[in-house]
Amino acid sequence: MQRGKGMKFVEDSRIPAERKPNIPKDYSEYPGKTEAFWPNFLLREWMIGAVFLVGYLCLTVAHPSPLERVADPTDSGYIPLPDWYFLFLYQLLKYEFAAGPYTVIGAVVMPGIAFGALLLAPWLDRGVERRPFKRPIASGLMMLGVISVIFLTWESVDEHDWEAAAQQGEIVDDIEVDEESEAFEIYLNQQSCIGCHGGDMLGGAAGPSVFASEYTAEEVKDIIENGLGDMPPGQFDGTDEELETLAEFIANDGQDPNGDGGDDE
Amino acid sequence: MLQKIYDWVDERLDITPMWRDVADHEVPEHVNPAHHFSAFVYCFGGLTFFVTVIQILSGMFLTMYYVPDIIHAYESVYFLQNEVTHGVIVRGMHHWGASLVIVMMFLHTLRVFFTGSYKKPRELNWVVGVLMFFVMLGLGFTGYLLPWDMKAYFATVVGLEIAESVPVVGGFAKALLAGGEIIGAQTLTRFFAIHVFFLPGALLGLLAAHFIMIRKQGISGPL
Amino acid sequence: MEEKKHKVSRRQFLSYCLMGVGGFMAAGMISPMVRFALDPALEAGGESDFVQVTTLDDLTEEPQRFDFQVEVEDAWYTSDQPRSAWIYREGDEIVALSPTCTHLGCTVNWEGHDDHPNQFYCPCHHGRFEKDGVNIAGTPPTRPLDVYEVEVRDGSVYLGRPMQR
Repeated sequence: MQRGKGMKFVEDSRIPAERKPNIPKDYSEYPGKTEAFWPNFLLREWMIGAVFLVGYLCLTVAHPSPLERVADPTDSGYIPLPDWYFLFLYQLLKYEFAAGPYTVIGAVVMPGIAFGALLLAPWLDRGVERRPFKRPIASGLMMLGVISVIFLTWESVDEHDWEAAAQQGEIVDDIEVDEESEAFEIYLNQQSCIGCHGGDMLGGAAGPSVFASEYTAEEVKDIIENGLGDMPPGQFDGTDEELETLAEFIANDGQDPNGDGGDDE
Repeated sequence: MLQKIYDWVDERLDITPMWRDVADHEVPEHVNPAHHFSAFVYCFGGLTFFVTVIQILSGMFLTMYYVPDIIHAYESVYFLQNEVTHGVIVRGMHHWGASLVIVMMFLHTLRVFFTGSYKKPRELNWVVGVLMFFVMLGLGFTGYLLPWDMKAYFATVVGLEIAESVPVVGGFAKALLAGGEIIGAQTLTRFFAIHVFFLPGALLGLLAAHFIMIRKQGISGPL
Repeated sequence: MEEKKHKVSRRQFLSYCLMGVGGFMAAGMISPMVRFALDPALEAGGESDFVQVTTLDDLTEEPQRFDFQVEVEDAWYTSDQPRSAWIYREGDEIVALSPTCTHLGCTVNWEGHDDHPNQFYCPCHHGRFEKDGVNIAGTPPTRPLDVYEVEVRDGSVYLGRPMQR
């Protein structure tokens, strides 16, 4: 190709008028087993990529991404947990030397040193030697970092009560309690019920929502009379008729079973 | 026909040298898993990029349904996951991709570290790579809040409290991230903007720099 | 020369393989996402709910306009949206026409123009329809007005969704 003075361009642009032939490089002249990126090597890479993609898609189909119930800032009982790749930081802050008055150490100093060192690694390890065993300090520190991250993550996963967290985050069906109904009046007169199950029947300090489990009216009546688990028997002080009404109301998810209180057809 | 279109464009823009340079560059034997099986460690970078591409695509599609508002964010996520066909897959790809990209990037970082590939003349590329690591962690942190479920909300509360514990600038940093005193409507829109525009923008710039530097310097030689 | 020819064909073969694998990866990635995006367009129309609009006694031979509300579910929003219909009796049959002009979507009126009695008239482009909703040749609309599905229960008139004729 002609260069320098007398070079021709396309019109008034700076694109050379002489076309460069579109011919791939001939790799046979290179020594060793060097390959061209396109298509030889890329084909291998993409084959690995395709296998990876299949595994990835299987994962997404087998494990749908979790979604808990809508955020409720007032729920103080929830055990928060960051995404798994932040667990090591989260765990670090639980230790005495990195908590309380020393939070700065756990939250800023230690991660700061670790990530700062990572960022500046080329200037901290300036030797020409590249093999990991020939530069034991750098390799050793890196191994230490990796092991401590894995250890902290492991500890955090181990300490977390996964079952409780899953239950706390569960999506609960919305229950609309018909507060106009006769049965709700009856409930409001039962101080011992309200004490545990709350003024709205949806659970309180000591008891769950009365609608939490599916029971028939008969079973509800039996539980009110005889108790269940921590719930003491014989707390209801009203007539049998009232008990009947209340039990049916509870079994019907907070709607008067006889009236037209329910807004579903 | 195709050849004619190609020639037409090539005459005007001289594109042949640009892509021939990428297509013809040498891949040495020591990074090719076909010759040495242990060379599979050199695939982690490529796989990180692959997952990043999936993240960008699935994220783009998710924003078709998602709204960053505390009243409707959760409902929109619930809707796109449960009512829209393949919603479970697209959200799943984004959810699991977030974890995979961290895993792959971690492995890639270890490979580069233990092969000493960050040494002269590749220091700058290492720095850019570590910056990308931070950007990815930032994307993970901001993305976690968006579904506005229990886990999202409380993890963000913890995260911002950690930010607050930084001396001197902590309170300011927290207010800046949360967009106010409480974690609420303004936090969500902020995190959304950071997750969807700011950090991906930074990531794309860094990625371009990363790749250009690799092309310029070539892959590090055998140990 | 022979050698070179051979090389080119091997390269081409690899290129085709590469495109195949690339196509597979692209399809695996993109197809769920595209289906996800297309969902609203492919979703079949839901069951129509019938809404009570008026009673049989109120209907006459003359089309009258009735306004009513329909509950519309739009993803995570549910809202009541106003609809109207021109309803009249023809013997035992009840006809409920949508007031939306089939030309460009304006609202038609019964006898909306003094020159055209006994016709629906659209003020936007002077489109006209017969009483039974059929468009009048020579005016802009190209098809008849849509008709609502009608149901009569206990002397009340219920309307479903508007259907194209």
